[in-house]
Amino acid sequence: MIISEQWLRELVATGLNAQEIADALTLAGLEVDAVEALGESLEGVLVGEVLSKEKHPDADRLNLTQVNVGGQKNLAIVCGAANVRVGMKVPVATVGTKLPNGLKIKKSKIRGEQSFGMLCSEAELGMSESSDGLLELADDAPIGQTIQSYLNLDDTLIDIDLTPNRGDCLSVTGVARELHVLVDAAYTPVAIKDVAVTSSDKVAVKIENIEACPSYLARVVSGINTNVKTPLWMQERLRRSGLSSISPVVDITNYVMLELGQPMHAFDHDKVGQEIYVRLANKGEKITLLNDAEASLNEETLVIADAKQPIAIAGVMGGSESSIDKNTKSIVFEAAHFTKRAVAGTARTYGLHTDSSHRFERGVDPVLPEKAMQRATELCLEICGGEAGEIVRQSSDQVSKGAVELRFERVRRLLGMPLEQDEVQGMLQRISDQVVKTTDGWSVVPPSYRFDIERECDLIEEVARVKGYDNLDDRLPKLIPSGRIAPENQVEKRKLLNTMVTMGYQESITYSFIDEQMLKDFAVAEQKLIHLANPLAENMSVMRGSLWPGLVSACQFNLNRQNDRIRLFELGTVFKDDGKIQESNKIAGLACGSLFPVQMHLKKANSIDFYDVRGDLESIFSLTGKPLDFIFKPCEHPALHPGQSAEIVRDNEVIGFVGRIHPNMAKKYDLSLMTYLFELDLESICAGYMPEYQTVSKFPSVSRDIALLVPSELSIGSVLAYIRLINCEDLRDAQLFDVYVGEGVEINKKSVAVKLTFQRDDRTLTDDEIEAYTSLVLKELAEEFSIELRMGF
Amino acid sequence: MSDTIQNLEEITTTALAEVASAESLTELENLRVKFLGKKGELTIQLKNIGKLDLSERPAFGGMVNQAKKQVADSLSAKKEHLELKELAENLAADAIDVTLPGRGQQIGGLHPVTRTMQRIEDIFTKMGFAVADGPEIEDDFHNFEALNIPDDHPARAMHDTFYLEDGHLLRTHTSPVQVRYMKNQTPPMNIIAPGRVYRCDSDVTHTPMFHQVEGLAVAEDISFADLKGILTYFLRQFFEKDLSVRLRPSYFPFTEPSAEVDISCVFCDGDGCRICKKTGWLEVLGCGMVHPEVFRHVGIDSEKYTGFAFGLGVERLTMLRYGVDDLRLFFDNDLAFLRQFQ
Repeated sequence: MIISEQWLRELVATGLNAQEIADALTLAGLEVDAVEALGESLEGVLVGEVLSKEKHPDADRLNLTQVNVGGQKNLAIVCGAANVRVGMKVPVATVGTKLPNGLKIKKSKIRGEQSFGMLCSEAELGMSESSDGLLELADDAPIGQTIQSYLNLDDTLIDIDLTPNRGDCLSVTGVARELHVLVDAAYTPVAIKDVAVTSSDKVAVKIENIEACPSYLARVVSGINTNVKTPLWMQERLRRSGLSSISPVVDITNYVMLELGQPMHAFDHDKVGQEIYVRLANKGEKITLLNDAEASLNEETLVIADAKQPIAIAGVMGGSESSIDKNTKSIVFEAAHFTKRAVAGTARTYGLHTDSSHRFERGVDPVLPEKAMQRATELCLEICGGEAGEIVRQSSDQVSKGAVELRFERVRRLLGMPLEQDEVQGMLQRISDQVVKTTDGWSVVPPSYRFDIERECDLIEEVARVKGYDNLDDRLPKLIPSGRIAPENQVEKRKLLNTMVTMGYQESITYSFIDEQMLKDFAVAEQKLIHLANPLAENMSVMRGSLWPGLVSACQFNLNRQNDRIRLFELGTVFKDDGKIQESNKIAGLACGSLFPVQMHLKKANSIDFYDVRGDLESIFSLTGKPLDFIFKPCEHPALHPGQSAEIVRDNEVIGFVGRIHPNMAKKYDLSLMTYLFELDLESICAGYMPEYQTVSKFPSVSRDIALLVPSELSIGSVLAYIRLINCEDLRDAQLFDVYVGEGVEINKKSVAVKLTFQRDDRTLTDDEIEAYTSLVLKELAEEFSIELRMGF
Repeated sequence: MSDTIQNLEEITTTALAEVASAESLTELENLRVKFLGKKGELTIQLKNIGKLDLSERPAFGGMVNQAKKQVADSLSAKKEHLELKELAENLAADAIDVTLPGRGQQIGGLHPVTRTMQRIEDIFTKMGFAVADGPEIEDDFHNFEALNIPDDHPARAMHDTFYLEDGHLLRTHTSPVQVRYMKNQTPPMNIIAPGRVYRCDSDVTHTPMFHQVEGLAVAEDISFADLKGILTYFLRQFFEKDLSVRLRPSYFPFTEPSAEVDISCVFCDGDGCRICKKTGWLEVLGCGMVHPEVFRHVGIDSEKYTGFAFGLGVERLTMLRYGVDDLRLFFDNDLAFLRQFQ
């Protein structure tokens, strides 16, 4: 809301300047967005009269004028405006003036003709964003007066961004009242006169929903002239508050709204008949609004209606059929109280946001309609003439607001500092005129316009606000630590993140809502999709069930930006609907391009393969302390290459997938490089073990290398896993070190070389023992898999 | 005897000359064997001692030993010299250009938002706050109702909140975590809840997903002064600057009194610049004292306990900390951007 400093000062007397006022408001929670001086740099602009006008000899659109600005000589000025005419009063920027738009007025020659100034439009004076032609001043504007003093431009505009709880400050009166409370400045309310009733014209008012509209006032003013011009002072105040002048009656209702805070409306009496109803809309009813839009009303919408049809959406906007026009002779003023609840959401339902709905949604003082009606009538008689009829009102019994108790001790406790009782009482008395001292504090009846004061904590905020948050104490408390440190057998999230980073992966953060087709392409199995009811875009409409689509999109993005080696990972939530929506955390990675960055030491840039990525995963699994818990099993996954994909199993549960992206997917998603993906269940890979001390043997270990002839179709992983399970306490390790297929190895077999390591803690093993253990391993393998020894070393 | 002596002198002279001209350790070793070995030329001179008169023998023996020592000394001096020379040669041959780049992997990096969240967590956990989390898909009760956000609050409108088809919603702030925590724990409690939040809004200064850190402290005597103190400490630690911190009254349905927190602009130190719009202040977070209505919803006695809550935008703090000027960069995942935060 934009407040004119001049206007504000009519209601409140303070020695503060505009910036100080703005600072006081900001620090009290009425955040001032901008403070702008209005008439700056208009000193050389004077009221002038156009004495003559001739066509420019060399330019069709230009005129040569003689202008009287009260000086000794008339000024010759070349003018390009279409509306220039002899006898008109206009603002004249004289030589030496620098206009708000930066233009400096100099003596100049325009197409060969001398010009000693410029006739100005509103926009050129910085009074509006754009304008059409010269600003025409009233005929009685005094020649030679500065435009600044004539238009009273010595003003400052204070733009306040109000929080929704402070609807009471959406008027000059409201801000003045607030300043009174904050800086103890003398406040003079707008004087309200009872206008004499001189006409018997009236309408009947019938409220059908008294809880939505606790009071409705209507008054007929007849015999008015709507063809007069709104006075300059009123036009200027509207303009400075951001409203344009429309017609005298509309301007008056807007003026009263800005002045007092009560939205009003005026109907053409001849178009609405003798009865006014406040009711809910009927099914199928329609109204054409003042903005020419037709609204089909729903049955929850409160409307103002005449005997036949709705004539306004209550508290939002009037209808065009009942609106004031040039022929209007008699009007009905409406000043009503609609509750917050009655108006809330209505404007939005119809795609509207009006000054009226903005105020009613935040709460308008219920005692205002009476005052506003008198004020509007007074202004109407003054400007448009006419005869006032009696005010017809229907109201429910006003329920007076209850008192709110404030305990002095509670103020100290919540703010954490002692305040003086007298000081607090003084603040409360500026806020409300009904403050009663009680044994432990005060009982305060909040003013009718303060919807935000309902309970004790609201009054404490008032005290804190008026005191100034800056003047409140601060201290650093010693807190009793909350929660427990994470159990040591859990892999810390940060350790995991750092491991990924060390292995070369860059963390990314992708959106939680993704493209439906993409999720289907990358989901492990048919998933029930979780759709947003109101997505921003088609490709952000489904909650992700996998982190892969986000990583693939990020990969695409970077491939398109000349990256040819990409390692990305994300740790985030995925969503699943199996009757109930479940959230779980995953860590996923994507890798493509060369194994190492391009460097002079590695002449050939080898592209990564499955085993590079598997190696990365093994590093992650090592963080748990038992990497061998994690078993890689060949699997089928719709997004992965059938021959290069594995599911990862821990404790008989699938906890993730790794593999090369399926060539079809790579093609579909423009991944030009061979790309590998993995995704792991975070909880499963973070469940680790406490380190457990084992004796470090003082005796040497002994190794035996064996080469086994393994059937081609048998996975080496299962052979190694089996060896590790063989019941031989002194077998400490079995490491694969070579796999060979080809000459010397029969078809359908592969040669697998394994190093067996034996050790005891209490003595050195003998050769005989080693031989016996090796034989045991070979025997077990022969029995389990029919594996034979190719050779021993 | 003179022949024998003359012979000895000749051998000695030859030996010394050959040692002097030796060029390698191998050659030197050969010379040692040739002259001083078991059958070396000087060693066998002693065998000629029998040909001499008894009276001449001691003198000759002394001469031979003298010659052997002379040659041995020369050998060892030469050896030392040759070893040093060989070491120097080897070192020279091993020299490499140490200005060449190293070999190996390129490390990755954390996302700047994660980096900021970790710093925030570090500062608050040091003060005794625990880290809590909660679901991203929420219900109306935890996201709105329990936080005293009335039915007609603008945040509930379709245009701000993402809804699922079944009526659930994507949390619009991390505040539901405090509701869940308070329901399940008893005071005293101090927690922060970092996480993703969602709003149905997308333009230059809004992304439909962003990150917040919610904070909450409840105890028998938590006051506004504590809130001021803790946030001031946090902000000064976070920006590593002795910033001015200012609280301004504001409005949030779930706190009363409520405040917005401003810091003196980190770009101009409060002098006024483009980024702080000439005000010298930057708005960084919202906070306040927990509203009694919120306590009522979670079953905490607001007469016995008081508490404060705050919520801060992680992207906002990241932008201020590192001077990032476009919010949308955070979710493009452009490596050229992300790598700046390694």
